[in-house]
Amino acid sequence: MTEVFTSIRRTPYQSLAAFLILFFTLFLSTIMFISLSFLYGLLGYVETRPQVTVYFQTNTPENEIFKVRDTLMNSGKILSIKYVSKEEAYKIYKELNKDNPLLLEMVSSDILPASLEIFAKKPSYLPELANFLKKQAGVDEVNFQKDILERLLTLTDILRKTTVVFFLFLIFLSILVLITTTLFKIALKKDEIELLRLLGASKFYIKKPFLLEAILFGFTASAGSFVIILALLLYLKPFFVPYLKDISQLNISLFLSKLTVWPLNAAFLSTAFFLSLIFGVGIAILATLLAIQKYLKI
Amino acid sequence: MNIGVQDDNKTMIKFENVTKKFPLGNLAVDEVSFEIEDKEFIFIVGPSGAGKTTILKLILREFLPTNGTILVDDFDIASRHFDQVEILRRKIGMIFQDFKILFDKNVYENIALSLKVSDLSDDQIKKEVGEALSLVGLAKKEMTFPLQLSAGEIQRVAIARAIAGNRDIILADEPTGNLDPKTTWEVMKIFKKLEGTKTIIVATHNTDVVNSFQKRVLVLKQGKLSKDQRKGGYEI
Repeated sequence: MTEVFTSIRRTPYQSLAAFLILFFTLFLSTIMFISLSFLYGLLGYVETRPQVTVYFQTNTPENEIFKVRDTLMNSGKILSIKYVSKEEAYKIYKELNKDNPLLLEMVSSDILPASLEIFAKKPSYLPELANFLKKQAGVDEVNFQKDILERLLTLTDILRKTTVVFFLFLIFLSILVLITTTLFKIALKKDEIELLRLLGASKFYIKKPFLLEAILFGFTASAGSFVIILALLLYLKPFFVPYLKDISQLNISLFLSKLTVWPLNAAFLSTAFFLSLIFGVGIAILATLLAIQKYLKI
Repeated sequence: MNIGVQDDNKTMIKFENVTKKFPLGNLAVDEVSFEIEDKEFIFIVGPSGAGKTTILKLILREFLPTNGTILVDDFDIASRHFDQVEILRRKIGMIFQDFKILFDKNVYENIALSLKVSDLSDDQIKKEVGEALSLVGLAKKEMTFPLQLSAGEIQRVAIARAIAGNRDIILADEPTGNLDPKTTWEVMKIFKKLEGTKTIIVATHNTDVVNSFQKRVLVLKQGKLSKDQRKGGYEI
């Protein structure tokens, strides 16, 4: 490692450029990862709410309702349907208004409609399902979270596409800067490399200091950017709390396992740091290997 | 390659009809054949451009021969086994004509460089560097940087780097080329001390040095081996 620190000391501007480009790449990438995780978590949360609720007229017989339910289930677009009978609706009403006897007195199970709570396989099926339900006999009202879902879907889609484009651009920029700085360092150590080769150093021995430097930059840049992001998250957390007070948890699926995004927790933050670390060290090593491959003739 | 195995009077270096032609067409070595025994001390002499440096570089496998065979400690240097080439080079201590001393490293670091590539421990490196510096008379200059040294001292650092680490072969390319007569003899005394412990090949055109040592001399002229004299001398 002494050689690595000596190399940094001897090429301070090149080393700073390499560090800063990695730092900004990792800073923005980690922020994007966290933002996308939140949005996907929110999308997942909204998707777990009944996406379409159809209320039937009070005189609609149960078998008519079941016929609609069966038709929907056979469409292949439905994840699940929950039937809420008049009696169950009344129970829910009673539970919700247990502190208000006046409201309880005014309502009986007869005037509450039966309903179907429908969960679609994809949010994009919702408008189609809503249109179908509106045309069915006995249907009184159809509610679906079209606006919220559509906005969330659009936002997630835009962010995902932006992230991919931005990621690729940042990776390209980082690799370009890292190759240039490594090339400069190789040129600066030309005599030493030539001598090492003649003294019988293995190829790996000659490449090792460059790779170690890449790992050091990748590690410090990811650690540095993460510390700043962590401080930002902790600072902004009180501002998020009022908006997310009704949401107990936001989860995403990552590497085939469930990861809780909100409330902020050690597992999610560790994952973000770990991914940033792998990404940072990976880019640095890749750029160094490309530079070595092209310019280090050993 | 017989690493570490030393037989009496075994052949350490063998050139068989070796030719080295450079891409631009100049013939540096032409059909040269000779054998050098283990622990032998020989001079390769000849005017500038005779092929002395090329022969040393061929032994170090810095160049590959255009034709012919070169065996160094039974290892065919034309072999493509690069890991074995590395091992071969670790057995050779080379004193380069241009010293190849790194000016951003101190004396200790310059010598330790050749030992670090052999994966020696820090303690072993310290011991070997200390011994090599004592032999060349620079024991107290470990932490000195090359810019603070005289040409003769830099030459001695180069020798120390070549002999550190118990190498089997020492190749010296014009080791006294730029030195004054006094420093030349100081440097040659170091080779005298090493005589009989390693195979030593000194390429030079310094007639005084060659004649005073009375060792085997290979004389090169325009890339051809014109004389191979046991206990020979040399005249321009």
